[in-house]
Amino acid sequence: MARAFSAGRRGITGFLEPAERDLLRKLFTDIITMLEPDTPAHEDPLAALIGLDMDVSVPVDPALLRLLPDAVKDDADSALEFRQLTERSLRETKIGALRAASLGLESEKLVLNAEGAKLWAMALNDVRLVLAERLEIRDEEDAERIHEVQDWGDADDVESYLSLVYNFVSWLQESLVQAMLSGMARSK
Amino acid sequence: MSVSTAPETDREVSTRELISPDIPWELIVWNDPVNLMSYVSYVFQSYFGYSEAKAAKLMLEVHTEGKSAVAHGSKEKMEAHAVAMHGFGLWATVQKGGPRG
Repeated sequence: MARAFSAGRRGITGFLEPAERDLLRKLFTDIITMLEPDTPAHEDPLAALIGLDMDVSVPVDPALLRLLPDAVKDDADSALEFRQLTERSLRETKIGALRAASLGLESEKLVLNAEGAKLWAMALNDVRLVLAERLEIRDEEDAERIHEVQDWGDADDVESYLSLVYNFVSWLQESLVQAMLSGMARSK
Repeated sequence: MSVSTAPETDREVSTRELISPDIPWELIVWNDPVNLMSYVSYVFQSYFGYSEAKAAKLMLEVHTEGKSAVAHGSKEKMEAHAVAMHGFGLWATVQKGGPRG
């Protein structure tokens, strides 16, 4: 069983069982695959340099839309224009955090500095956003219902299995963020 | 937002802050049932450099009101903040500020 993250002098440390690492590695990889752009980087070197992507469109998959949401509300044209300018680099930021977290799984004991902990927290958050979309968590009541699924003996269908995975990743993220916050409070 | 350790709070949160009329854009962060309250507080503290108290106040405002204007300034600055929030997985939008209510 994983142990909660804790903040100490050497940074934030955590411990995960091999099966938990395998699960997280799979989740991180799945989301990296979701986030990899369908189209190659723009051939125009200047456009590629500034990350401009005129081919971009609003994601059809609601989970991907949750990862890459509109930055302008009730104005599709402005939202799309913003997307053309920023979406590619946002995808790269997220993929970078997921890759860093995935790489961290290779060592037996996790020891994270502030930056590493931030990337881990971001990666776990993206995993939770995607799982929540698949589990159709739309409001606090849905979240409560999913939270109540705690017994691995009940994992007899996809929904209950995903609920347990979601709860595990939520617990892990909560424990990590609490350690990060106490580390921040200590350094003040 | 979601919480796994602390109970719901019904605290009344004051939302008024002075905004300068010549910097009319604002960054809105929206509530969702997924992001942890602790994580949202962490993002507000670490990214914006807000105090623990200010971060907690804004986080609770998002949680109870459904949204909060967490930063004000130029359009370009708010757009950069929106991209950063999306990087963290928070849903943020940029809009022209106005009389708040």
